[in-house]
Amino acid sequence: MTGLLLTLLALPVALSVYLATMVARSQTPAAFTDGGARLPGWAVIFGSGGVVLSGIDLPAHLALVGRYGLQASHLALGLIPAALALILVQKRLWLAARIAGTQSAGEALASYYGSVTLRLVMLTLAALFALPFAAQLLGGAGDFLAALTANAVPRGVAIWVLAFALFLPAVIGGWRGVVLAVAVQSLMLAVLTAASTGFAEATLSAAGYLQQGMTLSDGILSDRIPGVIQYSAGIGKEPVQGGIFTTLALLSSALAFMGLLLSPAMLYLGMTARAGRNLAFATVWGIAGVVVGLLVLLAPFLAARMQGGATGLVAGLAGVDQLAAASLAVLFLALRLVATAFFVTSGTLLVVRELVLPFVLPNLDARGGRLTARIALAVAFALVAAIATFSPLGAAVFASLALPMAAQMFPALLGLAFVRWISRSAVLTGLILGFLAVFFTEPPGLILFEGLFLDLPWGRWPLTIHSAAWGLVLNVGAVLLVSIFTRQGAERQARDLLHDEFAAHWRTDFGGRAARAAKWSLVLIWAFLAIGPGAILGNSFFSQPVFTEGDAALGVPSLWVWQLLFWLAGVPLVWWLAYRSGLGLTTDVGIRTLRLPATVQAQERQAPDWIAASLARVTER
Amino acid sequence: MQVDQTEDKLDRHALVVAVWLAAGAIALVLFHFGFGAGGRGWLAGGFAAVLAGFASHVIVNAVTGTGFTPREVALGLVAMLAALLALVLATLLVVGFSAQFFLPVSGGLICLVLAVVLTMVTRHGPRRAFEVFDVIRDNNRRAASALPHRGGRK
Repeated sequence: MTGLLLTLLALPVALSVYLATMVARSQTPAAFTDGGARLPGWAVIFGSGGVVLSGIDLPAHLALVGRYGLQASHLALGLIPAALALILVQKRLWLAARIAGTQSAGEALASYYGSVTLRLVMLTLAALFALPFAAQLLGGAGDFLAALTANAVPRGVAIWVLAFALFLPAVIGGWRGVVLAVAVQSLMLAVLTAASTGFAEATLSAAGYLQQGMTLSDGILSDRIPGVIQYSAGIGKEPVQGGIFTTLALLSSALAFMGLLLSPAMLYLGMTARAGRNLAFATVWGIAGVVVGLLVLLAPFLAARMQGGATGLVAGLAGVDQLAAASLAVLFLALRLVATAFFVTSGTLLVVRELVLPFVLPNLDARGGRLTARIALAVAFALVAAIATFSPLGAAVFASLALPMAAQMFPALLGLAFVRWISRSAVLTGLILGFLAVFFTEPPGLILFEGLFLDLPWGRWPLTIHSAAWGLVLNVGAVLLVSIFTRQGAERQARDLLHDEFAAHWRTDFGGRAARAAKWSLVLIWAFLAIGPGAILGNSFFSQPVFTEGDAALGVPSLWVWQLLFWLAGVPLVWWLAYRSGLGLTTDVGIRTLRLPATVQAQERQAPDWIAASLARVTER
Repeated sequence: MQVDQTEDKLDRHALVVAVWLAAGAIALVLFHFGFGAGGRGWLAGGFAAVLAGFASHVIVNAVTGTGFTPREVALGLVAMLAALLALVLATLLVVGFSAQFFLPVSGGLICLVLAVVLTMVTRHGPRRAFEVFDVIRDNNRRAASALPHRGGRK
């Protein structure tokens, strides 16, 4: 099957290069890094969904479901509150980009709060997604390809060839080329995921999920959530009875998903989109609708057939039809490569736009800027391939920081979007505490501290609470506390400039008092029942109804029905905010520009003295 | 402005490619399995996937306010003719093909033609849909043919 697989794999690569070439012919050099901030709506819609599906590493998610059953599948519902968080801040960021001329989330936060540190934090996060996070995904794809071809394509070769295949569209077409390629493949991913599941169920003779459920290790509850909280010191310290996905683990993991959706790359995608209904459509129907639906509905079926791993399922399908098996293999590969291409390209372009061009090489023209970006892309893809090949463990360790650390930006983004009294010092204090909490409840901090000093009494995710939540609790607490004392600080006037503009011309219509109360209370009720402590009711709600003596014979686990129900209830919640409140609807009409005091205009850009002197030492010899 | 128009054309082209890549991938697998161990039901599924791709293409046209480009029409005609030719050759040359596959394949192709005709009729109306193919009428055009009661053609 190796030949067929490689041929099929070459097709989307060729298509991406073709699209990128067409883009390169039509766009100006200046648009290389941002696509002219006019990305087509459909590309943003498909691309967002595809990147989320790929960014959660679907093959790894399926392996998790295969290991922990429906309690792990329940994680998918966490994407709905994450989508709510995205829709809350996305439109205001889009507007800030047009009003204040800030082109990315990092630049918007830096200009709004008047803080270079925030710009650097966002760039660090972009690098975290672009290097270890992407390297882990690329390494997974390399492992899978090597296993499928029985090492006919060795792991290292697979990684470098795949990295080169991803690099080509990026270096030719820039941001627009990559987004179009990602969008085209995202639709294919969604359709193939659904079709492959159906095909496997219809053709494979072995019993599937509906016939025999999932076979898990002893002590793991396959179709139940193992409690609201487990008093465990954390992963790596002591095992958790029944499985690790308690309701608090699910709730806190939703905050980690928020980190994926609020990552610098995803925000950049939204900020460079055209005006229209794109952001609403992408969030409501793309993420909350299709992606969560695919995960909740199909993950149990696929996971039940993946007891021998993804390669086992492909091998099983190859016995039925070679082409179907090769398509499934391409699906599993593309599921990792889409996010890799997206995060490496966006991270590199952000670093080039925000650091290299304004501060290191401020006098370059548009063509020079494009060349710089292309060289940076070559370096970034080579770095990712090198990390994936030579340091897969390091990539996995540092990749664990990406989502929970990105989630820590939520208070800062909320401040820019709605809450004008959140001050710079509050945000920075919160970020420091949040990052520290994340660092010491994830592998890098634990390994470092325990290696240098002594064993910590907790492991990863103590009390089955995800590190994102530990960080956010400290972060939000610090933001609230420090803002009490600093909300009227010297930089308040600068913050008011943007919020006054929002209030004057871009007021968000949350409705009357009743509608406003209903919106927020429904969200809270949904969160409590869907992924909060109330989700424990789903364990037996439909199989052992409370008002009857006997059991109901559903034929499927009660928890699965509960998940489907709250997926269906969650989509209208996101819709309500995105469409009815207008949080996902954007327009170019009536935008007035203003200058925030901390904005660095293009003509004012200059390299700091120490950078200029360092460059001069090298170039003027 | 010209850059914008080129970008819009490219965006539509990429969207059409996205739609056909997804539908084509599914159709290919279903046809492969259908002609192998699967049988008629899977072939019907393959044609359904092609029809879904065509319907999505029509929706893309409606959303972007465009029609099929000449290249798309040419590619569609070539694909359809190739499929017809393959059907005829397979019926004549492959033993057992006609007994097992002639009906589902010809039925599927007829469904595709009907879908195209239906699209043309809904988009242009019955008369204009027919006139697209009425080339003979234009060969010896008279001034009177432009009169409204003669069809109003220029």
